[in-house]
Amino acid sequence: MSAQPKTPQVDNDSMEDRLYTVKYNDPGDSHLDVKVSDICMQCDSYDCVRVCPANVWRESEEGVPHIAYENCLECSSCRYACSHDNVVWTYPETGAGVTFKHG
Amino acid sequence: MTPQLDGDAVAEPNYDDEFDAIVVGAGLAGSAAALTMANRGLEVLMIERGSSPGAKNVFGGVCYTPTIRELTDFDGAPLERYVAERRFGMLSKSDETAVSISPGEWHEEPHNDSYTVLRGEFDEWFAEQAVEEGTTLVTSTTVTGLVRENGRIVGVETDRPDGTIRAPYVVLAEGGNSLVSESADLKATENRENVAVGVKEVLEFPQRDAVIEDRFRLTDDAGVSYHYFGEGAVGDAFGGGFIYTNDDTISVGVAYRIEDAVAADQSPEETLNAFKSHPAVAPLVRDARTVEYSAKTIPEGGAESIPDLVHDGAAIVGDAAGLVLNNGVHLEGTNMAVESGYHAGNAIARAADQGRVGADALQAYPDALERSFVVQNLERYAWMMDAVEADRDLLFEDLPRAFADAGTEYFRMDRTPKEAHAENAKRAVLDAVGGWTGAAKLALRYRKVVT
Repeated sequence: MSAQPKTPQVDNDSMEDRLYTVKYNDPGDSHLDVKVSDICMQCDSYDCVRVCPANVWRESEEGVPHIAYENCLECSSCRYACSHDNVVWTYPETGAGVTFKHG
Repeated sequence: MTPQLDGDAVAEPNYDDEFDAIVVGAGLAGSAAALTMANRGLEVLMIERGSSPGAKNVFGGVCYTPTIRELTDFDGAPLERYVAERRFGMLSKSDETAVSISPGEWHEEPHNDSYTVLRGEFDEWFAEQAVEEGTTLVTSTTVTGLVRENGRIVGVETDRPDGTIRAPYVVLAEGGNSLVSESADLKATENRENVAVGVKEVLEFPQRDAVIEDRFRLTDDAGVSYHYFGEGAVGDAFGGGFIYTNDDTISVGVAYRIEDAVAADQSPEETLNAFKSHPAVAPLVRDARTVEYSAKTIPEGGAESIPDLVHDGAAIVGDAAGLVLNNGVHLEGTNMAVESGYHAGNAIARAADQGRVGADALQAYPDALERSFVVQNLERYAWMMDAVEADRDLLFEDLPRAFADAGTEYFRMDRTPKEAHAENAKRAVLDAVGGWTGAAKLALRYRKVVT
């Protein structure tokens, strides 16, 4: 019905630049994993990939998602999203992982 | 639960340890509990996995402070702005229909106890209040599990060398991602229908001074809380968008149910971008630079999702206990976190005076919470999630469009008499809600939101 109003351009940072805004202390090992690889191989919904706000979970050709854990903002949405309850989620050790300045 | 254990609390196991209580997590609930217990003379250890309190915390932006102000000297609190205006904007794809309120009273102290804050600073300050009362704070230390003896919780395991620490009471204030409580079977993992994913940016405007004051019509420390819902905010998902003004930055974000996020054709990041590009939002956020990008999950299961709050030797508080209210109009969590920490701390102090550690000795905490605004409010809106879910197309898509059309018709400038415009406006809304009968049913269904 209504005409498209004149909307000013909003420039958004790329995901990479957005993730550069937070401090990340790499614990060395991934704090994320999948419980049973076979479940991922048979999964066609990839809910972990769809929900992730930080592009941590990525579809891969092997069928098990690639996990770029060093992107993780520790929101834990993947843990709830997986309808197969197949996400292993542990807190990064001794304060490692993401640090928010503002939050 | 094994209340009969209570009787032999002093006999064994050996509580010959340094601390009376361990608090897991130095967020608002944890610090409120620590502060309360330290005030009552308990030796408290608070363990935080971040490098400082708040380092792992994210929230929308408004802290509601009636309880914090009672608990401590509030003068030094790092507040950004007080909320002087609340705006509720209904967004269709290209329209906004909004209600804005800015009572004069909100300009006067204590400003309706509503302030924008940034958690990094604020949580550090609040934890410091607990430390000043004698709490021992340990950071960069992760609690990995609970220690149990004879079914009773008697301490925590941490990821530090020799990291087992024993104490008669453990307060679980670990936030919504409550891995410790869940792995100890103190609560179930929440369903994705009841958890929202939130993404947020803190934005600054480097090119020009006073952009925030100009765009949001602010003077001095006044600030705004803008909430948006409808398909222009988060598509057809159950949730909304927000803008809060900080001192030199604004917080902009979206939050919506994970159940909808996995079904949506865009990622949370893309949803945020779309919200920021809405014609009603873009003029407020343009020419900004991203200072911080963050994300978190929000437990929105309401009253029905509250787990058992006390166990033998332990209490669960704050987000870990699911104490978040989101009914579309009220979005509250910080106030409930502090209130729950306060009541849990009180109950533990009383139990400690009596030398009792069983769940029944801590029952004063859930009892107090039941009587407080926390559970009263959650129960008041417990019916709402299901109702909104059933009406989601109407509430988030049809109504925002209908109100926009009605406004367009009502104020249309042409040579037709206003009677016809008013009739068109009325019809736009009635068509959307299913006539007068539908409107009456809808009003009846949602009367408790405002009455």
